[in-house]
Amino acid sequence: MREPALNPQRKYVGMSVLRTEDPRFLVGRATYTDDVHIPGMLHAAFLRSPHAHANVVRMDTVAAQALPGVAAIFTQDDLEDRIAPLTTTLDRPDVKAVTRPAIESKRAFFVGQPLALVVASSRYVAEDAAEAIDVDWEVLEPVLDPELALRPDAPVLRAELGDNSYAHIEFERGDVAQAFAGAAHVFSKRFHHGRSSAAPLEARGLVADFDALTGELTVWASSQFPHFYRTVLSGALGIPESQIRVIADAVGGGFGQKAAIYDEDLVVPAASMLLGRPVKWIEDRYENLAASSHAKDVICEVEIAVDADGTFRAFRGHYLNVGGAYPPYPITSLLDPLAAASLLPSIYKIDAVGYTVDDPLTNRCPAGAYRGVGWTPGHSARETLIDDIARELDLDPVELRLQNLIPDEPFESLTGMKYDGGSYEASLRKTMEMMGYEELRRRQARLREDGRYIGIGFSPWIEPTAWGSKMARANGFAFDYYDAASVTVEPDGSLLVTNGSQNHGQGHQTTLAQLAADVVGVAFESVRVVQNDTARAAYGAGTGASRSAVIAGGAIIRAGREVREHLLGLASEAMEVGKDDLELSDGVVRVKGSPQRSMTVKAIAGDAYFGGRSQPAHVAEGLSATRAYDPPETYSNGACAVVAEVDPATGEYTLDRVYICEDCGTILNPMVVDGQLHGGIAQGIGLALLEGISYDDQGQLLSASLMDYLYPSTTEVPPIETAHIETPSPLTEGGIKGMGESGTLAGEAAVLNAIADALAPFGKPPITKTPIGPSEIRDLIRGSVLSPRGTAS
Amino acid sequence: MKPAKFGYARPGTFDEALALLDEHGAGAKILAGGQSLVPMMNMRLARPDVLVDVNGLEGLDEIRADEILSIGALARQAAVVGSAEAGEAAPLLVDSLRYVGHPATRNRGTFGGMVAHADPAAEAPAVLLALGGEVVARSFGGTRTIDVDDLFRSYFTTSLAENELLVEIRLRIVANRRHAFLEVARRHGDFALVGLAATAETDGDGNCTAARLVFFGVGSTPVRARAAEELIVGRPLGYEPVVAEAARVAAGELAPAGDVHATGEYRREVAEVLARRALERLGEERAA
Amino acid sequence: MTSVTFDPQLVRLVVNGEERTGVAEPRLLLVDFIRHELELTGTHVGCEQGMCGACTIVLNGAVVRSCILFAVQAEGAHVETIESVANGSRLHPIQQVFREKHGLQCGFCTPGFILTTRALLAEHPDPSDQEIREYLAGNICRCTGYVNIVDSVREAAARLRAS
Repeated sequence: MREPALNPQRKYVGMSVLRTEDPRFLVGRATYTDDVHIPGMLHAAFLRSPHAHANVVRMDTVAAQALPGVAAIFTQDDLEDRIAPLTTTLDRPDVKAVTRPAIESKRAFFVGQPLALVVASSRYVAEDAAEAIDVDWEVLEPVLDPELALRPDAPVLRAELGDNSYAHIEFERGDVAQAFAGAAHVFSKRFHHGRSSAAPLEARGLVADFDALTGELTVWASSQFPHFYRTVLSGALGIPESQIRVIADAVGGGFGQKAAIYDEDLVVPAASMLLGRPVKWIEDRYENLAASSHAKDVICEVEIAVDADGTFRAFRGHYLNVGGAYPPYPITSLLDPLAAASLLPSIYKIDAVGYTVDDPLTNRCPAGAYRGVGWTPGHSARETLIDDIARELDLDPVELRLQNLIPDEPFESLTGMKYDGGSYEASLRKTMEMMGYEELRRRQARLREDGRYIGIGFSPWIEPTAWGSKMARANGFAFDYYDAASVTVEPDGSLLVTNGSQNHGQGHQTTLAQLAADVVGVAFESVRVVQNDTARAAYGAGTGASRSAVIAGGAIIRAGREVREHLLGLASEAMEVGKDDLELSDGVVRVKGSPQRSMTVKAIAGDAYFGGRSQPAHVAEGLSATRAYDPPETYSNGACAVVAEVDPATGEYTLDRVYICEDCGTILNPMVVDGQLHGGIAQGIGLALLEGISYDDQGQLLSASLMDYLYPSTTEVPPIETAHIETPSPLTEGGIKGMGESGTLAGEAAVLNAIADALAPFGKPPITKTPIGPSEIRDLIRGSVLSPRGTAS
Repeated sequence: MKPAKFGYARPGTFDEALALLDEHGAGAKILAGGQSLVPMMNMRLARPDVLVDVNGLEGLDEIRADEILSIGALARQAAVVGSAEAGEAAPLLVDSLRYVGHPATRNRGTFGGMVAHADPAAEAPAVLLALGGEVVARSFGGTRTIDVDDLFRSYFTTSLAENELLVEIRLRIVANRRHAFLEVARRHGDFALVGLAATAETDGDGNCTAARLVFFGVGSTPVRARAAEELIVGRPLGYEPVVAEAARVAAGELAPAGDVHATGEYRREVAEVLARRALERLGEERAA
Repeated sequence: MTSVTFDPQLVRLVVNGEERTGVAEPRLLLVDFIRHELELTGTHVGCEQGMCGACTIVLNGAVVRSCILFAVQAEGAHVETIESVANGSRLHPIQQVFREKHGLQCGFCTPGFILTTRALLAEHPDPSDQEIREYLAGNICRCTGYVNIVDSVREAAARLRAS
């Protein structure tokens, strides 16, 4: 195991340090994008398609332009020369390329698609004008069924692709056919995970301010990756990156939805360039539900080949994505089905695995990243099937899993993922212990005799974290990432740390300061972390995919280590003591064994900047270091369990409690980790029971407001008990693993398994879709032939 | 979305309000609590020419119980919940308001607004039918009362005329009346998938002398299950064979539609379950 | 005859104890008036439907949804926003406890939760967990999963009772 790079006297890493960023949020002084006001600012609204599939025969903006307060209306023709088109693809032959202009005004491919941009004196007026744009439509039949979309006779949505298939991927390892042919049992399930939206409470938005005099573009954006957005803007608008600044100061949640480049993100800055005025666009909730990427709508057909004694032999899966009108940029819609497929083996020991992935386009909003990505539907499909198998074979569902686990040591899955070691059995057993499993099963049996139905659902997981180059490739995405961090000692000895992640609630301002303080050896209070602003922070690919603790953390460890060595070197010269005889902690360098001989970091820095006892040659090296970190693959793991009760007469359910034991290696701040688990589980509950984006058979969006897209509230999320195991990664800096998505990856399956377990006496109905509410639960019960007493109902 | 333009008027007197309604006809909408209207305006689904803000009208928010429970149309839902008089006179009403929205919406939403809005999945219309009574409406033509049984016509439609203002809701107070309120919703505070507001009166021996079983979320208006009501009148309240049969009959009187949240079949079968549970509860309950 | 106004008009009200005047056309939502006319941006917009609680303010002593009120309705009213809760740089006990219990992550829902919590504890100084959850069910948080929010409210209740 590699030696952790942290200061052996570490004080802050592992502590639940309260967040230094909190006060401004608590008093309402944080600056979210809509809080930005620039004199002369204009406001934007979009004309959006009311049709799922239609040609724009004629668009007349004359009446709209004439409304008082309207500054301009832009369509594709006005912007095509100003914005270079984007091509969305992956570096693999089984995936196509889609090239699109920044806005498509001549053809609509989904309800809510932006067609024209109106800029006016207020949002109110801009919406009036958008309404006044006169459009003649040729309505076309929408392509909605993903299987029909793949048929050779289907209408083709994007002619340049030849058909509606964006990608077809096949993979096999081991003799899958033989494993299935020779197995005692083959169990299968078709599981359709419902379409969902990350729906952060703050919707998207941006304020673009182009200064024609200097040629500089400043964009405030509710974005998870300001540097990457800057890079895209530079290419698309033809402005050097050094003349673009993107600021994502306070962002009200992202969950992956704000880690994509949308049409609005390009046309609004272009409008500012054309008008010479700042332009603000703030997405409203309808726009967010209709046109910000959807996620997780995957039809998973999973098969498991099992021996008579319950030993898993092979897994096979077909993952059919219900994609949208085009793949989102840059990560593509494959983030759902391909991620689901590549993590099919999870923590189970099998001899063979095979999967196919299909990703057709349909006339819906594009589908992209949402916390847990495609791992969520893939995990739920597999884990609910495993519980079904346990019921069929009359085995305890936890024992069935324990019997099939991979060992804790580093392990390469059959799909090529290199797990770096975990605590698969220990976390599962810990969860059982937390809930008092044996006693709870006995209680369940007693309650059934009284006509009460509780259910227990388990969901052990492994989470690919730290999405850098190698993790991307392990999931099938070829993208290289080199996130950097800078550590600088200021003249007064305080520490300035900048990095390329983007803090939108993850507590980086605090956790990364904890880490830097430990690595360099200074007081936590003397460290300031700067991110979220491309003008002030080192380059990085932003926050998402559970990457920041590992990647920003790793870069800070490397840069901090360098700076620490510089400090010791300078102190060594100034104090005339060998470097090896010095130790540095709490901002003071001391001679080992003679602590009264010391020199503060402040004094060392003063010398470094303004001259003193240190040698000029070393002083010239500076007290600053910028290092990049692209980690190896690393995986966190754990087990989640839910106890629920179902009222079979009404289908109503109550979630009693959630238990989760997670292992993310070296923990920076347990309080923050718990918060991430709670939030992820709440989303898992929402996905399982409440949240569903739905369209009708004409592609009209039915879930267009929060009255139909149901967030879990305080009364839907029960108490959550957490426990932690720390199995440091042997490979990453500091042994840190990421964990932000665990709750949403695994929580849903635990909920579904608890419901299915509660319903087991009613004919063991399998769960085959999400979300399931009281009506769907009644469907499951009604569909079974037997009432709990074994007589036909 | 931002609302479309409208003219705003804030009448200081009743007559001024009525005159505005008279003048602008279908183009005018009354702004009371606004908790249902303004969200619709913010989707541009409601686009009144003129909004008549009646929040300044005096004397329309009183809650008084003597022979009847009188609730002014502008009484805030929170005020009704907090009214001891209302709680004693009609505990069903106060119980049901726990399921309506959230504290912030109950602080603005008015009782009259809920009634006039006539959402068939809402609690208040069903509770009115379960308690029995009348509403008082005024226009320039005069004042009239409408029996609650004649009030709810269809989805979001009452028998109030365009130029009429709802001013008072008058609910029957009955000594020793029992009540039960049950609803299934996907989340606390949401509209019901299906619900039941039930009242029953008994004689000294526990036999049911009158009953109202009112379902909501099951059609274009709240629905009284009159055939089921007839079955239980004259029988001991809570008597099991009658309960089972009445519940079955009640469900049979319903033909609910489905939507994204629940199927029609679900609503009907759960209506039967709620009916049974309500009748059992009515049989147990000590009269208030 | 009452006049019907279509044009922008002056709206005078007391906000956080201070007399303020702004201009509002009838359709200007109160939340937009507060945020952009009065430049108090601590109150947030999440849905414009009254469904999420991010826009919660106190109007004449009661918590309300400012996204489904019009500014013109607030003529002569007393409004309190999140900006009035802390005492300069001294956090209110409720705010202090939210920090201690990690009851916020991205912070977007936080002003709404703070004001609603204050109203809850004024009405119910010793609420049960169930009462806390029901009272706050109209405030949506997408980040915290509510566990720490409920803990925060319970602890804040205890501290306020003790003081």
